[in-house]
Amino acid sequence: MSKAKPAGLLAAGVALVLGAALALGAATAQETGTALKPDDVKAEPFKDAKTVGRIAKGDRVEILARQSGWLQVKAGAKRGWVRMLSVRRGQAAGTNVGQEVGGIAGIATGRAGTGQVVSSTGVRGLSEEELKAAKFDEAELRRAEAFAVAAAAAQAFAAQGKLAVREIAFLADPKAANPQAGARR
Amino acid sequence: MRTGALACIFAGLALAAGARAVDLDDLRKALEKPKQQPAPGEPAPGQPAKSKPDLSDLLGAVRGVSPEEEAAIGRQIAGNLLGAAPLVADAKLQAYVNRVGRWVALRSGRPDLKWTFGVIESADINAFAAPGGYVFVTRGLYARLQDEAQLAGVLAHEIGHVQQKHHLKLLQQQQLIGAGSSILSKKLKDKQSVQRLIGSGAEICARGLDKSAEFEADRIGVVLATRAGYDPYGLPAVLQDIGALSKDAGSVALLFKTHPHPDERLAQLSEAMGERFDGIQGARNLPERLHPVK
Repeated sequence: MSKAKPAGLLAAGVALVLGAALALGAATAQETGTALKPDDVKAEPFKDAKTVGRIAKGDRVEILARQSGWLQVKAGAKRGWVRMLSVRRGQAAGTNVGQEVGGIAGIATGRAGTGQVVSSTGVRGLSEEELKAAKFDEAELRRAEAFAVAAAAAQAFAAQGKLAVREIAFLADPKAANPQAGARR
Repeated sequence: MRTGALACIFAGLALAAGARAVDLDDLRKALEKPKQQPAPGEPAPGQPAKSKPDLSDLLGAVRGVSPEEEAAIGRQIAGNLLGAAPLVADAKLQAYVNRVGRWVALRSGRPDLKWTFGVIESADINAFAAPGGYVFVTRGLYARLQDEAQLAGVLAHEIGHVQQKHHLKLLQQQQLIGAGSSILSKKLKDKQSVQRLIGSGAEICARGLDKSAEFEADRIGVVLATRAGYDPYGLPAVLQDIGALSKDAGSVALLFKTHPHPDERLAQLSEAMGERFDGIQGARNLPERLHPVK
């Protein structure tokens, strides 16, 4: 959470108000979130842990830490662990500063989502325009290909990190009417 | 609106390339041909053997694209992308992402591709895949990562696109590469021809895939990272981080244009994952091993 966010970079190229607003959501010491659905608050980060409270949809929480699929949160006087995917980080959609930030950004860049914020700072960007104009770079591609590693090297690296292979099946598409989760359309 | 713009781009390309429209009859004929040896990949998640081809098969099967053709198309796209944003000049960093990426790719349905990973010089927050096993992460995205499990999750999502040949399917749907058409296969022999056929390859990165392909790559990404011994929640954590950014921040403009919003992706993942990843013991995050980027 303490890592430098690109908000600073952006601020260089745009109105200060935008940079400040972005920093609000990204880099404050105390991160907040909003419950996406009702969920139990657990004493510890696993599902069989003691339930110490409950959050309702839309509740604001302070995010203290993350451990795998769990977030340690403070909701009012309650403190405990909730499922990470039950919480949206940042401001609540609809009622928030975030949407207004969007509006300001839209004005600052002339149009929402053109990617011009970054390129206007002189930092190389990957906007749609830049990608379309891109020239094939054989030398750089060869450099990239030279970094490819053999399977054996990857296996040794995994062993160093004590990464153990586990068997787990691919997940079905929850939206598919039948289990044919593959090619659609 | 988006569909309209896409159609324009591709109509233009098709004209320039002089590519012949492949109608449904051609596709059916192509299907009637003896099947080519299937690519060394697993079937799509949960996909049983098909008894009867339906329309989605006709459009999505990527038949008739040989491994050589796939590699040529992938090189074209990767070379164009690197023309827009070169590698970050840090050999140790590049070596590191290749080790993580290759290890995760070994758990995929296509472990033997010539997988090439890289961090590219851009403040944008994004990642890209190209056919044949090319995967690139921007410096902007890499700098937000907090541990190796998050990097593995991001790379695994891109590996998922390659495993499922999403880009090839898209090109085929757009009739830019043939469904077993020998004329088009010949055209793929040299680089200039590939370029004429698919245009500036990086364009496909600017357009993006359809939503269902992104959701599928998310599901595959979580599974591949988990198979490789990482915390399953690396990719969801990155999505949650990015989801907290303003949608109009320039650094995520292209990402948000070409992908469903992270909130939507997380909701889908939540549904697909359920509690299946709860009991996993000993999964690793390896924050200390994440190679720093300047």
